Amino acid sequence: MGGDRTIRETLRGWAFLAPLAVFILGFVFVPVAGTFIDSLHREVTFLPRAFIGLGNYRSLSSDPWFWQSLRFTVLFVLVSVPLELVLGMAFALLLHRPSRARGALRACVLLPWAVPAAVSGRVFELVCNFQYGPANYIAERLGLTVGPVNWLGSAWGAFFALVAGDTWKTAPFVAVLFLAGLSAIPGDLYRQAAVDRAGPLQRFTRITLPLLRPVVVVALLFRTIDALRVFDLVFVLTRGGPGGSTTSLSLYGYDAFAGGDVGYGSAVSVVLFLVAFALSAAYVRIGRFGRGLS
Amino acid sequence: MNGEGRTRLPYLAAAAAMTAYCIGPIVFMALTAVSRRPDFLSPGAGLEFTAAHFLEVLRTKSLHFLEYFRNSLVVSAVSAALSVSVAAPAAYAITRLEVPGRTAVLFSALAVSMFPQVSLVGYLFRLMTSLGWINTYAALVLPYTAWILPLSLWILTSYFSSVPRDLDRAALIDGCGPLEALRKVIVPVAAPGIFSTALLAFIFAFNELLFALMLTTDHHARTIPVGVALFEGLHGEIPWGAVMAAATLSTAPVVALTLLFQRRIIQGLTRGAVKE
Repeated sequence: MGGDRTIRETLRGWAFLAPLAVFILGFVFVPVAGTFIDSLHREVTFLPRAFIGLGNYRSLSSDPWFWQSLRFTVLFVLVSVPLELVLGMAFALLLHRPSRARGALRACVLLPWAVPAAVSGRVFELVCNFQYGPANYIAERLGLTVGPVNWLGSAWGAFFALVAGDTWKTAPFVAVLFLAGLSAIPGDLYRQAAVDRAGPLQRFTRITLPLLRPVVVVALLFRTIDALRVFDLVFVLTRGGPGGSTTSLSLYGYDAFAGGDVGYGSAVSVVLFLVAFALSAAYVRIGRFGRGLS
Repeated sequence: MNGEGRTRLPYLAAAAAMTAYCIGPIVFMALTAVSRRPDFLSPGAGLEFTAAHFLEVLRTKSLHFLEYFRNSLVVSAVSAALSVSVAAPAAYAITRLEVPGRTAVLFSALAVSMFPQVSLVGYLFRLMTSLGWINTYAALVLPYTAWILPLSLWILTSYFSSVPRDLDRAALIDGCGPLEALRKVIVPVAAPGIFSTALLAFIFAFNELLFALMLTTDHHARTIPVGVALFEGLHGEIPWGAVMAAATLSTAPVVALTLLFQRRIIQGLTRGAVKE
């Protein structure tokens, strides 16, 4: 009889999970599998579909624009993610401090997260504008530049505009994660540290950082994967320019799709998918490893 | 605490800098939208207020702004409602029923949220084309729902597991089926959590760009982010006032939701990510 009940409960459980499974299988797993299959085909508008094996990947390996977009994407991750984590940590520490304005401050910090990336892309486009942009105005006031700089017209300027735009939008998300981690640290630890005359820096490195480690790993994972697949901001702010120097892998894949070459775009997407997958697996490993140690 | 007075001034300065950094670009966007000239910061220009840019965006039929707005609201609201109603029974099964493979479900959902969107969109484009659904609400709602589901599932699972088990066990003993227990006991108790989940789902759908860009072609289904991204002037020069007016209008709903429900959003975002 007990066995019957277990079977009934299992069936019921699966019935409850079925709609979720249908959606995720149908609109995520099947499309990803379809992309893998498409990447092995010549799938170009107006041409008959044909199986070409690794043909698209062979073309990729000798395509300088593909390597350029891979290089940009990796550089973008390496520069923007650490910045976002550091800034997010600073924000979280500020927000954690008891203050009458804490609620209002939290709301302000959350705002950039809520703004659509398409909108923040346009705003940063204007901020960096040669004629009207406050970037030039501020840089000149601070004595950093002489005369207007065409930020989006140079590869480095465009790169930093993207980093600035991404950091602005996502540091708040990191801050919110860290803030939750900070609130979970027992205040007794700090009180004890104060008794032991530990300075603020010591308290941060000896108590805060080690206890925050699991949250830092989670934030690092989320941000790395998100920065790796960056599309919205790049599409809106630089459209990959100037001269293709800021084309991310997502944008390069999209450009192939939009140009009618689904096979080639799929191959680009598969490469991005595999990189993201390998990184998540690595992070999960590292995260577990850390938990095992502590 | 110790040394509070000594650190008060640096704290205030840092908090002010943080606030300026976070809301500066938003204020700049809104000011450009109401300024007669986009270069109001440069010496000698000055800020002269006008509503002309907002009126232009709202009144110019060929911009289709109001249609984009309506599309965005419908698509995001339906996707959010759908994803929460699909994720709720799943979260119930994961937290309450002895289902084999439930951790596998949770972790494959997590894996799904790591997938790059571009690795779905080429196939989705071919699929929607062959179904004749390109440029319809369905072409966006179905992928959006699937795309938001992992997030909804994780947050709801976290909320449901914090509902005391005795509550729904009592309902089950009273002869309710599990579906009834979910509807009559867990949903009312976890209502704030369900609301937070729906809110986050709505914001994610509202801000989505890539799927909308590929799967819609014009104002019949095109959403706000695409409209804002592709907003160009007719005569070469970008009409910054009008672009920023459109940007301000499209940001207004999410900004209002964020300010109103700041606490809930922060709670939702951190559920699942920080707790086990």
